[in-house]
Amino acid sequence: MNGPGQQWPVASMGPMARARALGASIPSAAWTEGILDAPYGTAWPWIADLEVSVPRFDTQVRRIRVLERSDGGGVGPGADPGAEPGAEQLRITASTFGIAVPFDVRLEDGFCLMQARARIYLVLMAAEPHDGGARTRFLHLEAIPLPGTRFLRGHLQRVVDADFANLTRLAARGF
Amino acid sequence: MDALVRALIPYVGRVCGAIALDRGDDAMQETFIAVLRNIRSLREPAALHGWVRRIAVREAIRAARGGREDPVDPDALVGLAMAPVDVATVVDVRSTLAGLAPEQRAILVLRDVDGLSEAEAARLLGVPEGTVKSRLHRARSAFTRRWEP
Repeated sequence: MNGPGQQWPVASMGPMARARALGASIPSAAWTEGILDAPYGTAWPWIADLEVSVPRFDTQVRRIRVLERSDGGGVGPGADPGAEPGAEQLRITASTFGIAVPFDVRLEDGFCLMQARARIYLVLMAAEPHDGGARTRFLHLEAIPLPGTRFLRGHLQRVVDADFANLTRLAARGF
Repeated sequence: MDALVRALIPYVGRVCGAIALDRGDDAMQETFIAVLRNIRSLREPAALHGWVRRIAVREAIRAARGGREDPVDPDALVGLAMAPVDVATVVDVRSTLAGLAPEQRAILVLRDVDGLSEAEAARLLGVPEGTVKSRLHRARSAFTRRWEP
């Protein structure tokens, strides 16, 4: 390419915008976003430790078990050649009301997409530094990505609002 | 859906960044919302790239105009050829692009980033092909000269 093409400005899409775009495409998706009073460098590593974090703030989940984790780095003899640097793939179970539901998880810096097997439930968490990293902008989304589930949005909104309130309190206390 | 977003981010970022400039990130988010909401209406997978291109250009122009959805003005496209070019004052591409109308940036992006012909780019923008083709060629040439010794 000649001329200015090589230097033209390129727009970017952070984890929050990516989450909003995905949420806007799912009729039942409910999400809430706001500021956590904790540094991003503290908040995200804690949130990304799903076994520890999710049962503490998610009102519907009693326990998370990580069954399998790939580092996504594509390095080493056993590495997945299709893996992407900076992205981890996890297989987990989330125990809700005594039932362990299997989820596939994609985990990146500031982005965590959890999809139940058979696509019956979707949880998305996204975060970005705020105030230069002194605080954390956070988005929590839940959805049932099946046809005819739009009517459940109100219920899901109450769920994510409660989860977000819990997380806000935990962040203020330093987790 | 997320895999589709990840695959399209580099391309949509180039289109939205070059046309919408400082509002490129907003344009990019709106592009993906439109793409994901309407993806099921796309009957032919091979048409994906062109379909996304149309949406990205539309959203980028709208964002650059501050949200207004005015029709594309053919005169805005050809006006580029008449713009005074002062090479000595051109210090970076962004500031130069900022002096152009969004439609002008769009046609240059479609030519230089996507490799579309003037006629294809004019069609995509809803501009009568016969009216702008020859003038647009001169317009692009005038713009390109800014980066050539």
